[in-house]
Parts: sequence; structure tokens; C-alpha cells
Amino acid sequence: MSFLEVFQYTRQDSIIHRLDPRAKLFMAIVSAIVSLIFLEILPLLIILIILIPLLVAAKSLRRWLRSMKGLSILLVFILVFNTLLSPAPNPLNHSIALTLRLIALMTSFSLFFLTVHPDELSQALIQMRVRFEFAFAMSMAMRYVPTLAQEAYAIMDAQKARGVELDKGNPLKRIRNIVPIIVPLIIVSIRRALSIAESMESRGFGASPHRTYMNRLSFKKKDWVVVFISLLVLVLTIYIRLYIPLYVWSLPF
Amino acid sequence: MPLIEFQDFSFKYYGADFLALKKVNLTISEGEYVVITGPSGCGKTTLCRTINGLVPQFHRGYIAGNVLVDGKNTRDHTVAEMATIAGLVFQQPENQLVTLNVEKEIAFGPENLGVDPVEVRHRVEELISLLDLEHLRDKHPHEMSGGEQQRVAIASILALKPKIMVADEPTSNLDPKNAELILDIIAGLNKRDMTVILVEHRLDLVSKDASRIVLMNDGRIVADGTPRNILVKDLCQEIGVGVPKATLVYKSLKNRGIDLGSVPLTGEELATLVKEAS
Repeated sequence: MSFLEVFQYTRQDSIIHRLDPRAKLFMAIVSAIVSLIFLEILPLLIILIILIPLLVAAKSLRRWLRSMKGLSILLVFILVFNTLLSPAPNPLNHSIALTLRLIALMTSFSLFFLTVHPDELSQALIQMRVRFEFAFAMSMAMRYVPTLAQEAYAIMDAQKARGVELDKGNPLKRIRNIVPIIVPLIIVSIRRALSIAESMESRGFGASPHRTYMNRLSFKKKDWVVVFISLLVLVLTIYIRLYIPLYVWSLPF
Repeated sequence: MPLIEFQDFSFKYYGADFLALKKVNLTISEGEYVVITGPSGCGKTTLCRTINGLVPQFHRGYIAGNVLVDGKNTRDHTVAEMATIAGLVFQQPENQLVTLNVEKEIAFGPENLGVDPVEVRHRVEELISLLDLEHLRDKHPHEMSGGEQQRVAIASILALKPKIMVADEPTSNLDPKNAELILDIIAGLNKRDMTVILVEHRLDLVSKDASRIVLMNDGRIVADGTPRNILVKDLCQEIGVGVPKATLVYKSLKNRGIDLGSVPLTGEELATLVKEAS
């Protein structure tokens, strides 16, 4: 699952990291829309050529390359099967475009997720009028994933020590082997949830209807610039798509 | 006026078939350092929960009697209202850390209560320097050791500026060195005029600082007094309390006819007493 790394926040200090998450979200959505508008190789390549310098600016190019390597099997798969099975007039051209589109889409969103700390994300959601409880639930999920993973390993060890053979048998047996892990994990999690609730309650969670925030996000000039450019690009590409017939360059097969 | 007052308080959790607390009478005044001890399941945790209103507001059950904390009856006030009076530190540090970094964690309580952001920032900086958390500032709770987590948990409670600090076995998951560090922090808070109520088994570490020990067994308070008066009682050994070694030595000497004069609580005290005697 190494290709999922591009969706994981990396602690860096870069121009992109310092942008307001809302500006970055807008930028990511625009570039995703643009990559969905076109299904020709050339425009999709242009999108990628624009996105890659942004990745460099976010100091995350190496991470992106590593993930793309992890994704390469899937990409080859898409390429081969679309070429063989697609009803399009020149299938290879079509499938290359599809593959490029997938890469462009992933890159757009990875630019967002790579550079937005989960805390900033939840703060951005709150300031976009999402209720605090929901935004907080999301950030708490992030908080407890590693803790639960650790717990799952501990339970697995405990069950193995009692003679449960977790990695033996046919696929059906293996699926059934999950039961002795999952059941204790659920029980432990419910208990943990109760104790977390106690602690949150003791610190006044949800007590005041006017909750304050120590760090509020604020839109700066550069954020407006990003939003403005993104908007411009969006309008321009929609106009081109609708009114200007593109010279269609494609592979002949 | 006493800060905390239990008046014939009894409590039974829903679904339980025995009383967790049985007619507890206890008064604690401002500035005291009370250590509560007793075997597991004797009602210590319930007592702690009662002080900040988790019992009966969060854990429902059958109640008799009243608990007044800073003049407020816990029956009539929500846990959030009690939060600025009594702060509760729990056993498992990782269950008390709910955000993704230390700054946010400390800010969580005051933010919930709607404290002004400038003031919240001020409290966060103050506590980070007070509890020496500078190097942890941006860390995920998962990247911290148990002792560090517990320190952050204490900071996050102190951010609410409570008058009373209640700590329910805060050291039970820690190694001895970190346990000592946490207990030193708590003793330090008491020296700064905070009322402290601590549930603890390691009496050898806390009895020198404590002003009072409350011994519980089976939902009742069975002994209450200064450490030197309580720890020499045979009752302590009968119900299995971790009496400090120095005090045990004093008792055995006394049983063989050697009276050291006063009760030692630590090794050093014992050493001085023995030197004086010989």
C-alpha cells in the first residue's frame, strides 16, 4: 500500500506547507476538475508538468516518485486492459490518457494531503462551518489509529501465545481467524472510549456554545493569489473546452 | 469552610450489585495534600470521580447523601461547571490525550470553556515552561513515553486553573523514575497552595509530602489522619497497604522493645533516628 503515502502529511517547512488549507483545497479541486475535463494526452501532460514543480516546492517530489513506483503495477494494469478491451477507436491512445488522468488526479489531491496537517484540516473544516464535534471526531480518529494498531498487535501476540494459528490454513480459515482478534479489539476499544469520554468530559468538552480556538486560520495575500490563479485556470479551461476546438494530437493506434 | 465535604455519601453504579461507596463522611480543607489508599476495588476511583462530578453526572447510579465541593452540590452542577474547581488526572495517560500535539492538548480544556484565545495561548506557554514540555511541543501523543504523556495530561488539567487537583493512580503505568517525577510535580503543586488529592499505592514515595492519609476498604473510610499516625497501625498491614519500609522497621523494632521516639517515613529519617538512639 506504499502508494497511499502521497496522502499522508509530511512535516516540512515549505511555501506550499505555509499556505492556508482552504486555498490549497480549492487549488486541488480545480486541478482535479481540469484533469477530468480533458481526456487527451497533451493537456493532461501539461497539467502534470504544472503540478510537478508544485510538488518540488512542497519538498515532496521524492515521496511522490516513491508512491508512483508503488502505483506502477496498477497503472500498467489499467494500460494493458484498457488497450485490449476498450471499444475506443485508438485504444492505446485512450488508455494512456486514462492513466495520465489517474496520475494527475492523485497528484492534485496528494498536494493537499501531503502539506496539510490534520489539525489544520480540522480547523479549516470548522472555519468552513462544519460543526466542531464532527471535525474533532476526524482528528481524534487520526489520533487513535496508531494506538489501536498497537493494541491489535498486542492481541495478536496474546492469541498466538495461546496457540491460535493466525497465518495458517486456506483463505476461508484465515478470514475466520480474524474473529479472535476483532472481538477483543472491539471490547477493549469500547472500554477505552469510555475512559476517553471521562477525560474529555472532565475538561468541559461541548460545555460552552461559544468554543474558542487558540489558533485560527487567516487568509493572507498569498492565499488569495492562489485562489485567484486557480479560479482563472478553471474559467479558462472550461472556456477552451467549450468554445475552442483543440487540435487533437493523438497516437495513431 | 471546608473545600470538599462528603455528607453520608453512598453510591451504587447501575448494574452493580454492591455499593461502591458506603456512607462516606470526609472533609478536606484548602491546601491539604491527601493521599487516599486501599486495596483495589475499595472505592478510591469512585471517590475521585465524585469530587469533580463525574459521579453522579457521567456515571449514573443510586445516590444517598451529598457532596459539596467549593460550596457546590455535585448533584446540581455539570462536570463542565466543576472543571474549573476540581481537575481529575486519570490512570492511563494515553486515554487523556485526545489531540495531535501538546499545545492543542493543553489548550483543549480552556477552549472548550470559551476562554479568550490570547489567554489560552498565555496558559499554554506558562504550563509548557512550568512542566518542562518544550521539547514535546509538536509531538503526537504516540511519540511520547508514558511519563511524558502523563506530564502533558497534568498540564492539560492545570490549564483549567482548578483549585483542587485529583489524581487517580497517575503513576500506576509508569516506571519508578518517571513515577517519582510525576509525584514531585504533584507535591510541587501542593506547595503552590493547590489542594491535592492523590490515590497512590507507593506510599514510600508520597507519605513524606502528604499532610494526611485516608485509608479505604470495601467502600468505607477506615482510617484518616497524618501519615505518621496512620502508617503505624496494624490495620494497614491487615488490609494490605504498601507501608514504607522505614516505618515497618520502626514497628518491628518497637515490637522488640526498642522505641525510636518518632515514626520515620523515609530511609533517611530512619537513619537519623537510629543514629540518635545509638
